[in-house]
Amino acid sequence: MRALFDFHGMGAMVYKEARHILREPTTLALIIAMPLMQLLIYGYAINMRVEHITTVYYSEDSGRLSDQFITALQGSGAFDIVGRVESPESLRQAIVAGTAHVGFDIPQNFSADILRHKPAPVQVLVDGSQSTIAEAAAAAAAQIGTSMALSLNSRAIKFQPIDVRPMILFNPSLRSPNFLVPGLIGLVLQNITMVLMALSVVAERARGTLDQVLVTPIGTTALLLGKIIPYTIVGFLDFGLVLVMMTTIFQVPIAGNLFVLLVLGAGFLMTSLGLGLLISTYAQSQIQALLMSAFLVIPSALLSGMFFQVQLMPPIMRVVAYTLPLTYFLEVLRGIIVRGATITELWLPAIATILFGLAALGLASLRFARTSA
Amino acid sequence: MKAAIALDGLTKQYGQRTVVDDVTFAVPSGSIFGLLGPNGSGKSTTIKMLCGLVLPTSGSGSIDGLDIVAQSAAIRWHIGYMAQSNTMYEDLTADENLEFYARAYRLGPAERRDRKETLVNLMGLGPFLDVRSGLLSGGWQRRLALACALLHDPPIVFLDEPTAGIDPVARRDLWDLFFRLAEAGKTFFVTTHYMDEAERCSEVGYIYNGKLIACGTSVALRRLASVNRPDTTRYAIDAEEIMPTFAAVRALPYVRDATIFGHELHVVVESTASAERLASDLRGHAGWQAIRCVDPSLEDVFVTLTRESEK
Repeated sequence: MRALFDFHGMGAMVYKEARHILREPTTLALIIAMPLMQLLIYGYAINMRVEHITTVYYSEDSGRLSDQFITALQGSGAFDIVGRVESPESLRQAIVAGTAHVGFDIPQNFSADILRHKPAPVQVLVDGSQSTIAEAAAAAAAQIGTSMALSLNSRAIKFQPIDVRPMILFNPSLRSPNFLVPGLIGLVLQNITMVLMALSVVAERARGTLDQVLVTPIGTTALLLGKIIPYTIVGFLDFGLVLVMMTTIFQVPIAGNLFVLLVLGAGFLMTSLGLGLLISTYAQSQIQALLMSAFLVIPSALLSGMFFQVQLMPPIMRVVAYTLPLTYFLEVLRGIIVRGATITELWLPAIATILFGLAALGLASLRFARTSA
Repeated sequence: MKAAIALDGLTKQYGQRTVVDDVTFAVPSGSIFGLLGPNGSGKSTTIKMLCGLVLPTSGSGSIDGLDIVAQSAAIRWHIGYMAQSNTMYEDLTADENLEFYARAYRLGPAERRDRKETLVNLMGLGPFLDVRSGLLSGGWQRRLALACALLHDPPIVFLDEPTAGIDPVARRDLWDLFFRLAEAGKTFFVTTHYMDEAERCSEVGYIYNGKLIACGTSVALRRLASVNRPDTTRYAIDAEEIMPTFAAVRALPYVRDATIFGHELHVVVESTASAERLASDLRGHAGWQAIRCVDPSLEDVFVTLTRESEK
């Protein structure tokens, strides 16, 4: 049997592992380019805030207030007026064709009705195939209508006996990066370190280099630590890289304690390295390892609460979500970065993150020791 | 002489499949032992059990008197191992591979430099130190692997098909190295397919379907009763045109077996038929020159043994 707690030879492993990482251009690209790319894509492209919705309108009104309404829509930034059409049917056609997502149908007596303090109904056609746009567009249109009515006639206030003014905490501008980027950090960290670890160990097993190492007096612990330490450093580099990108490019400040964030980040890295090692003990080839990783990455991305709230999921999915380590680390990330929460407020996800780390790494190490004589 | 390597009923089963079946033999220290056998006969598994990479299902083995299961950690200092495939890190240079294994064997900085230099000179690796090992030719990769396996100066060296897939010159050079190291007192345990390499070993074991069928010096193996049956005689026929002669010989009713070795035909005939009878029966066929009585070659031995055990 191999001595379990023998640290001799760890230096040799770190020596060689560091060279593998630094020498392989694809590994380096993965380490640096992948977090950059993912952060830029999710941070910029996926913007859940609704702006510049392509809009067309049809107006039968002869008064000047309809023009004023259209100008108000354009001025709000939410709508981009791309054209005026000549018939109500054309509104629908424009939406079907995709040239516009929203169509305003302004009735004949729009200006006159408003001036006579009569309700002036404006029909809004909204493209429901884009659900985020639909809700936001409807809300924005209603709001613009109300404020315009108010500005024209203070008596309009009578129709609004309750003035609801929601105040949004923590992310007052409802900027998507504040919501997405902290979550993305967890996903990026998990994917990169898990995949690198799995690939590195599987490659050694498949090529027979692992056997060559196992006949040397390097102990199992030393061998594992020799693998884990370099990839932990890689993980922290990426952690730092995405945190810097987040605070500079996306202007999302870290409201809470950076040190606590880093400590819990280390816990999460243990989890993903452990998962990578675990994958390597099952996979026979690098392809298999990649497929197994994908099997974990997809539910992590969709169910951890990164895009959709866990509390709003159907019960079964919620159970799955709470078995994913990323779910807890996301709570930690959003808690510390966005809300400035302290460790006492985050004790549950914090403990879960650390426990997952210890369990994943422990299990994986035992399985590794058992599968390599 | 004390045994460097000893196997006693060593067996490995994977599920229902017995890969190594009750193998027993001993290798005296300072010798070159060759383990032969077709692919999948259990050669690599035997080596891996001896090196502590695979746990035996039953039986036991020892290296320098240390038990291969209970004392596998201690054994690591006594053995060098060169796997069948190229197990050098291809993205590291030759020097970095050496450095890694030198550190793995816990050599201090001065010792590392010293041992590396000795082995680099022995193997002639000097010009390739800064070349990535993946770019080296097969022969040089093997030399590098051998150097890495020898850094801690082990008394016993396991080589799993060390010359598979390398050119004849590199093969010869590598064997010259083995001889030099064996002269210096190291014990070699080599698996191979090549008969000429088997002839060079001080002792040879032949393993088939996991079972050790024969074991001994090549001289002893050639004299095995099961290979030299009393009712048969083995002749060599020198022939210029081998194929017509081969066909003619096989048509003779008293010929048990015929094998071609270049311009030589090895024929096993029933002892009732003399060399004269063979010559007179072949008189009508041109293309052959002489008939001699011969000992079986090692290949004859192994072909015969394999056919016997297949029956």
